[in-house]
Amino acid sequence: MTAVLVGVGVTGCAAGVDDAGSGAGKPVPKELRLAIGGESEDGYDPTLGWGRYGAPLFQSTLLARDAEMNVVNDLATKHTVSANGLVWTVDLRADANFSDGKPVTAEDVAYTFSIAARSGGLTDVTALAKAVAVDNDTVDLHLKRPQSTFVNRLVSLGIVPKHAHGKDYARHPIGSGPFTFVQWDEGQQLIVQRNENYYGPKPAFERVVFTFAGEDGALAAAKAGQASMAAVPAGLAKTAVPGMKVVPVKSVDNRGLMFPYVADTGKKTADGLPIGNNVTSDKAVRQAINQAVDRQALVDGVLEGYGSPATGPVDGLPWYEPSSAIEGNDPGKAKELLDAAGWKDGDGDGVRERAGVKAAFTLLYPADDTIRQGLALSVADMVKPIGVEITAKGVSWDVIDKRLHADAVLFGWGSHDPTEMYHLYSSTAAGVEYWNPGYYSNPVVQHNLDAALNATDQDVAAKYWKAAQKDADGNGFGPSGDAAWAWLVNLQHTYFVSDCLDIGKPQLEPHGHGWPITAGITGWRWTC
Amino acid sequence: MALDLLNAQLLRALASRFARLVLLLAAVAAASFALMAASPVDPIDAYVGGDIAAIGPEQRAQIAERWGLNDPPLERFATWLSHVARGDLGHSHTFNQPVAAVIAGKFLTSLALMAVAWCLSGVIGFVLGLVAGVRRGRWADRVITWWAYTLASAPTFWVGLLLLYVFSVSLQWTPICCAVPVGTVASEVGLLDRLHHLLLPALTLSLVGIAPVTLHTRQAVTVAMASDYVAFARAQGERTLGLVIHRVLRNAAGPALLLQFSSLGELFGGSVLAEQVFSYPGLGAATTAAALGQDVPLLLAIALFTTVFVYVGNQVGDVLHAWLDPRIRRLKEVR
Repeated sequence: MTAVLVGVGVTGCAAGVDDAGSGAGKPVPKELRLAIGGESEDGYDPTLGWGRYGAPLFQSTLLARDAEMNVVNDLATKHTVSANGLVWTVDLRADANFSDGKPVTAEDVAYTFSIAARSGGLTDVTALAKAVAVDNDTVDLHLKRPQSTFVNRLVSLGIVPKHAHGKDYARHPIGSGPFTFVQWDEGQQLIVQRNENYYGPKPAFERVVFTFAGEDGALAAAKAGQASMAAVPAGLAKTAVPGMKVVPVKSVDNRGLMFPYVADTGKKTADGLPIGNNVTSDKAVRQAINQAVDRQALVDGVLEGYGSPATGPVDGLPWYEPSSAIEGNDPGKAKELLDAAGWKDGDGDGVRERAGVKAAFTLLYPADDTIRQGLALSVADMVKPIGVEITAKGVSWDVIDKRLHADAVLFGWGSHDPTEMYHLYSSTAAGVEYWNPGYYSNPVVQHNLDAALNATDQDVAAKYWKAAQKDADGNGFGPSGDAAWAWLVNLQHTYFVSDCLDIGKPQLEPHGHGWPITAGITGWRWTC
Repeated sequence: MALDLLNAQLLRALASRFARLVLLLAAVAAASFALMAASPVDPIDAYVGGDIAAIGPEQRAQIAERWGLNDPPLERFATWLSHVARGDLGHSHTFNQPVAAVIAGKFLTSLALMAVAWCLSGVIGFVLGLVAGVRRGRWADRVITWWAYTLASAPTFWVGLLLLYVFSVSLQWTPICCAVPVGTVASEVGLLDRLHHLLLPALTLSLVGIAPVTLHTRQAVTVAMASDYVAFARAQGERTLGLVIHRVLRNAAGPALLLQFSSLGELFGGSVLAEQVFSYPGLGAATTAAALGQDVPLLLAIALFTTVFVYVGNQVGDVLHAWLDPRIRRLKEVR
């Protein structure tokens, strides 16, 4: 992962020039304008989920992730987990103040976690039993059950001041982050000011303005020279914009093909939805499809080059197991697998059969998503030569909701939190929401997933997360093992960035294009 | 005595119109709620969006409880109704704000846009119609009629995008987005700034209304111009300009006025699109957000609000038309 430098344009500009600027002698502009969307319509309250992507701007978090996705300290100076995994003790730094001048105390941290645990917002802190301020700079977070992924709450939950967290906090946020709130014109723009009392490295720009004009508006703003950065869909990234370069940022925003894992035995869910598919329940079919698809061709053809082949749900993250990947694009091997499993084309119609069952199934995708449409149709073409017939069908989510246990579905995921991987492959999540729609289950994998979740150390957790993809015996949900999914591509998120703006090395972005790029905003520099 | 009678009549008319409005509101509320309840969009899924794998069942239960989604639909409707009767429109979960505050904030922005667009389309449409009707069959009429048909068949958002690219991106005469200048704090925003940002969206929105007013006015003018009294006046030596001002204007104004007032609904619909294109943060944009997020209290309140808006508009149009054209009044008295 380290070998791959992210972004083609970034490196050229990353000369490490200081704030003062060089050559031209022009001063750093006081104001930076960004058209990257990401408006939080319900305001800027972390206990309701604000700041779970990118930078929370106004607040700061206990921990953070660096560009390599390693956990580093922020407000915390140290954190330890008890041997039973139930108590997380966090030591706080003493020099952090809220923008109203009051110090950030253990009381505030305990308050933030307790409120978030019962706020019913977009951050899931339900594993928390109680949060206790032990002394002025130590907090104990007691969990209901061991959860190694709780570290992501420490990374993403911005600390709010207990004394100023009232009804209108979401519209007038106060925090200890790198920026302070100036003005929010709903639906239009957010203006923030550099927090001169911030304890960390200060941003280079005195003021940052975020405009929320939608994709067309963002492109228009970039073309008119009114924004230093604009998030645009990859389809528009080929447009030339004077004074700006295209920066494609790698992501785990992935797309993959979910297979119903169990056979159709007439079983139904509690709501009466059919479960199982007699073709995709055969491991040979799933593996053959994984072998037959040419992922690079999908990247080049459907994503216009802005992406990378995907073989798992967490490609490139610290808990990714590279050996679970397969080379793919080997129709010969795919045919061998099918032959060995007894799938033969007896009637010469180009589609194999076994015991009267045709190797044919339906692949559903949301009809309004052109990328998924392109992927679905291409995959159907790619597996035709090996004698498998996929009927790609564009439908509404309403239809997918009813058929997702019995038909293959083209899903998109991608998170910085391995909880998602747990949900996709855990038998405990089978049939719950969109989590494990195929009813995948493998006791060995389940054991590894549970061990990862129960670990008290992040490295140990990562070891088990990797083992769930592929362990020493070759077991795992990855394409070389059970091949529960056929992952296809990871998207690259494309941004127009001013030639003068150096954004350093961006983080691998999660599902969701736009706001996540702000994760490194305090390190952005002007180089003209 | 006569005055008392008139007052009583007026009161009775007002009361009956008010009763009709209340019935209409009840029907709109019930129908909107039924549609929302039957909608396949799951409000929690819509809210959670891409975070669906990170939000567990416990958290979903918390969200459902915060929004009061656990009660059966009829009970929710009854609760909502009783709150509305007490003047409480509820809490919008999309904007995390009381519904009344959301509507008040957004409507002021929308009102400016719609008022300017409405006046523009009325005046431009009427003048064009007048010219076309008077110069019927000549080149001016042909150009105007052709122009009106083109406008009538062009979708608002498309015209909006076109204007955006010509005036904002290429010529850079007008701003690209929003109702206020980007990067300026509220205290420094002047009236001129606001007008500058209003110009293009208002122009786009006014285009929706011009064509029907023009074509109807043209028709009314044509009829008036062909009438006996105009022929008589002309025979007495009155010039065309005088004819138009003294004989035709008032006759032609009726349909235009009625049409203009009854087009408030379309104006509102058009504003949804125009606001979307220009990122103009009015009620139209809020409606889209509420619908996509299944924000029932907000969407119902907007539906009710629009109903009142359109109803009052139509009633005012009715009254003004009657005042302008005595024949209508007499017709009503006969009935």
